Amino acid sequence: MATFVATAGAVRERAEAVPWYVWCLVAAVTSAMVGGHWDISWHRSIGRDTFWTPAHIAIYLCGVLAGAACGYMILATTAGRGPIANEGAWVRMWGFRGPLGAFIAAWGGVAMLASAPFDDWWHAAYGLDVKVLSPPHVVLILGIMAIESGALILILGYMNRASGALQRKLDGLFLYTGGMILVLLMIGIIQETGHVGMHSAQFYRTVAVVTPLVLTGVARASGRRWAATTVALVYMVFLIGLILVLPLFPAEPKLGPVLTKVTHFIPPNFPLLLVVPALFLDILLRRAGGANRWLLAVAGGVGFVGVFAAVQWPFANFLMSPASENAFFGTGYHDYLTGPKAYTILRKFWLPETTPGAFWTVMGQAVAVSILMTRLGLAWGDWMRRIRR
Amino acid sequence: MRRWMIGLAAVTAVAHVGSPDVFLEGTAGPYPVFVTIRPPAVIPGVAEIEIRSSAADITAVRITPTPLAGPGARFAPTPDEAVRSKEDRQFFTGSLWMMTTGSWQVRVMVEGTRGKGELSVPVPAAANRTLGMQTSLGALLAVLGLILALGIVSIVGAASREARLDPGVAAGDDDRRRARVKMAVTAALVTAALYLGNAWWTAEADSYAKSIYKPLKMNASLEGGGTLVLQLEHSGWFQAESLDDFIPDHTHLMHLYVIREPEMERVWHLHPEMTGGGRFTHGLPAMPAGRYRLYADLVHRSGFPETLVAAIDLPEVAGKPLTGDDSAGVVAAVGRAGDAVSPLAGGHRMVWERGAEPIVAKRPAAFRFRVEDKDGKPASGMELYMGMPGHAAFVKTDHSVFAHVHPTGSVPMAAMELARQSLAGNGEAAAAGHEGHGMHAALPPVVSFPYGFPQAGVYRVFVQVKRAGVVETGAFDVTVQ
Repeated sequence: MATFVATAGAVRERAEAVPWYVWCLVAAVTSAMVGGHWDISWHRSIGRDTFWTPAHIAIYLCGVLAGAACGYMILATTAGRGPIANEGAWVRMWGFRGPLGAFIAAWGGVAMLASAPFDDWWHAAYGLDVKVLSPPHVVLILGIMAIESGALILILGYMNRASGALQRKLDGLFLYTGGMILVLLMIGIIQETGHVGMHSAQFYRTVAVVTPLVLTGVARASGRRWAATTVALVYMVFLIGLILVLPLFPAEPKLGPVLTKVTHFIPPNFPLLLVVPALFLDILLRRAGGANRWLLAVAGGVGFVGVFAAVQWPFANFLMSPASENAFFGTGYHDYLTGPKAYTILRKFWLPETTPGAFWTVMGQAVAVSILMTRLGLAWGDWMRRIRR
Repeated sequence: MRRWMIGLAAVTAVAHVGSPDVFLEGTAGPYPVFVTIRPPAVIPGVAEIEIRSSAADITAVRITPTPLAGPGARFAPTPDEAVRSKEDRQFFTGSLWMMTTGSWQVRVMVEGTRGKGELSVPVPAAANRTLGMQTSLGALLAVLGLILALGIVSIVGAASREARLDPGVAAGDDDRRRARVKMAVTAALVTAALYLGNAWWTAEADSYAKSIYKPLKMNASLEGGGTLVLQLEHSGWFQAESLDDFIPDHTHLMHLYVIREPEMERVWHLHPEMTGGGRFTHGLPAMPAGRYRLYADLVHRSGFPETLVAAIDLPEVAGKPLTGDDSAGVVAAVGRAGDAVSPLAGGHRMVWERGAEPIVAKRPAAFRFRVEDKDGKPASGMELYMGMPGHAAFVKTDHSVFAHVHPTGSVPMAAMELARQSLAGNGEAAAAGHEGHGMHAALPPVVSFPYGFPQAGVYRVFVQVKRAGVVETGAFDVTVQ
């Protein structure tokens, strides 16, 4: 009798465990984001690199881990083996069977693979790009994005079929992965979201392009009460962690011109205060989640820009003040290419809209974009909620 | 996906014509060094550095790049250790990134048993080519791109057909129909994305093409029957080129080589004066009618050198006698000069000590020339010509290559002076690395020029030396393999 009880307990425990390939994908997305920020810091501190820097290895480890996990899932399921095959929780593509998330992540792996020779040729043809958004980098970012989305969908498929403790665990991982997607998208706009631009309307328009989509979509698909807030917190804690850790390691520029002396790894900027508009979105979705989705999008989109600007605008004044030059807010860290006339050194706001009319026109665009992206987020979230495979 | 062509577009070199590599022979403290720098073809890009020394007691060579002047010259990046060759212990190599277009310097720091020494080598950095994509890489990327494009469409199809069904439930006709519609929409979106991606790529490539170096334009004309007028114009290069920010290079703003075509049997080394913004004029000496090729060397205030090229058809010019540092040479027609001996005035001759080995492109060497009297003995009375024991012009007979080289190398003296000031500002001895040739009491009748021919072909080499108050010109023809 005792043996029977023990065995039944082990089976239940196994059934409630998060599958190893989910952990594998979560590790993959974490590795890509650590590697991505490490690589950016490397370029801002040391400048020169080879393919075999730890940062690059961390980025490509994402592809390896995702490829191994998804390859196994797809091949095992196609061969009729494993829990996914037994359960019938697969979709078909090109004669293969597997969870939808595995196919999406595998696509991301191929995109990452394709970006490497493309990027190499790009550097040889046009010089090393000192900007984040170049065509080969976009292919790489799309690849990582697909792996992160694949992980999200894979977790979601399990989550939507699970219940109880396992469902809660998977929901936690789902929000964590959503946070990693937010980190990735913010990398894509890293050069447009510096402190110096936080009093420009362009800044709010740029943030509106990526942020409401992720926050609304993930919050809508998750069953948790403070889902958007959690996603924003994951992003903020991740970046603050980098600010605290990266400067602990020494680094010296190996490229010129060295316009600012650098002695350690330069961390990213302090994260945007997305937790506040995320909190607003959570409250809105809880109170009025059943409303017409366009009305909800208008309320969410307008509210997002309003709440975000209400906190970020005054916070920008603080970030531009010498008081923020400390280890936590990290506004005293400047990369080696920062010249003495840079706005970040002069602590001067960059104001591209020279008239109130121009400012409010762009701000209007920011609100329109925010509404549209919130609406897309709602549609995406509702679609994800129904994912079963 | 586009631009599948193979190979390189035309190469325009900074400082010289078709000869981008920098050669410098100097001293780093007590150590003589011959430095070759092959600047990157794209910016940012990697410069290849080669250092050879006749000193056997060097223990380490380190190299680092900085801008020649300005705020970036203040902090040098961490130097790299140059790698010592296993076969040749006096040969070191390294590679350095040059991040921006403009005037750079490579600081060479040498350590040995006699202490430390430092040398600064000015290097102009500018993109000079567009690289096509190899067919094999293009094919690989095309296949991967196709897989990715079809993959997106198929994933969308699978997602809308089956992903929302409970496990084990088969897709129905409605699911399949919905999937087909979404796949068609996705295919259209992917096509649009590829089109926009291609437009972006084209815009980036066009933007890059604007950064490819183009020298200032120079229009040559004859005024008043004997005055050469050289009018400079902007070339459309994205850098803000100035037409009047030139600095003297051994006392002259412009060094102009005038070579008669097609025989190359007459050559003048003239020094026009700037008489207006971007306007240089010069009273010509007596010249026979014909077509002339003009090569004008200038150095901008930043230390960035340019060689401007023009051609002009002249009638017979009665001209004025040569004055100042101007000089003229009458030599054998191209193809008839040979590569060993060139006769000079008064029975003297110039001998190229080139040895029996063939001359190979891209192999740096110190090309030595000896001046003998009519009895074959070392000539006496050698003098400096504009502060130099000699001047050489390496000209490819199709005029695709022109390089004006001094015994110190291919770097203009004006840029060398900025490098010297940069080193002095860096706490080094002001004269470190750049030994002035004006300090020689008695000049030997031998002059050598550090250089490497950039490509195979037939070249004419003009060598000018000054002896007994007269500038003499030797000419040699050489086939480079």
